[in-house]
Amino acid sequence: MGNNVLIVDDSNTMRKIITRSLRQAGLNFDNILEAGDGQAALDVLAKEQVSLVLCDINMPTMDGIEFLKNKGSDEAIKDIPVVMVTTEGGSEDIVHQVHQLGASATIKKPFTADQVNDIISPLI
Amino acid sequence: MVTHQHVIDATQEIFETMIMVEAKAGKPLDKPVTSFEKGMTSMVGFAGFRQGMLAIHTPENVALDITTLFLGLEVDKIDEDVIDALGELANMVAGSIKPLIAKDGVDVELSLPSVIHGSEYSMTTLADSETIVVPFSLNAGDFLVELAFKADLR
Repeated sequence: MGNNVLIVDDSNTMRKIITRSLRQAGLNFDNILEAGDGQAALDVLAKEQVSLVLCDINMPTMDGIEFLKNKGSDEAIKDIPVVMVTTEGGSEDIVHQVHQLGASATIKKPFTADQVNDIISPLI
Repeated sequence: MVTHQHVIDATQEIFETMIMVEAKAGKPLDKPVTSFEKGMTSMVGFAGFRQGMLAIHTPENVALDITTLFLGLEVDKIDEDVIDALGELANMVAGSIKPLIAKDGVDVELSLPSVIHGSEYSMTTLADSETIVVPFSLNAGDFLVELAFKADLR
């Protein structure tokens, strides 16, 4: 499996901020891939070897919840760890739901590079 | 009940964590500002158990400065990056406030962010709303964070 990370967020700003945070955290990936919604992320996972997905929840077209459901039903990609990056971190129900759907962890915005490192390092 | 201090805490946490600058809070305003010149307003709606919206009003030069700090890229004109950055900023502030207004955390949904900008525009919230408006200062200038809820539901 290639050491690639996929960042899924409809906000170009957040994709750039997450990319910057990964570098600040000292987490080195061969490639940083991007997708603007859940469907685009599934399309990337169908073509590329990815070792970790960082995914927003609130997105148009296909949100993070639907992405988790679709990914979890696909044998080829269901074991790729997913970290949900969300403004909904204050909601225990949302956190519980995404873990039930197979998310490995959640990161609440705003976040620091140290927090990113603490959460992602055990998964890669 | 959401207070001025909640708005200040949420906004300052996001600026300090994600943009790495201090946003100094000023004295809350008695009523919303409704007319803007050479400005940008980013908004996120709350819907469900409680209805309302969170808006960030910035002069264009402050929006450019925030985007430059946010992305680590120099920007000198209003473009997709600026619109996206200000929308995301509103989304994060609204997301931080949402747990304070949600009933058991699940009955309030956030809309996707919307951004308006222009040389001159007005924005009026429905008459039966209750609002919190807090001014903040950055080196580049001032901006406002406005939280409005349907009356009696704050």
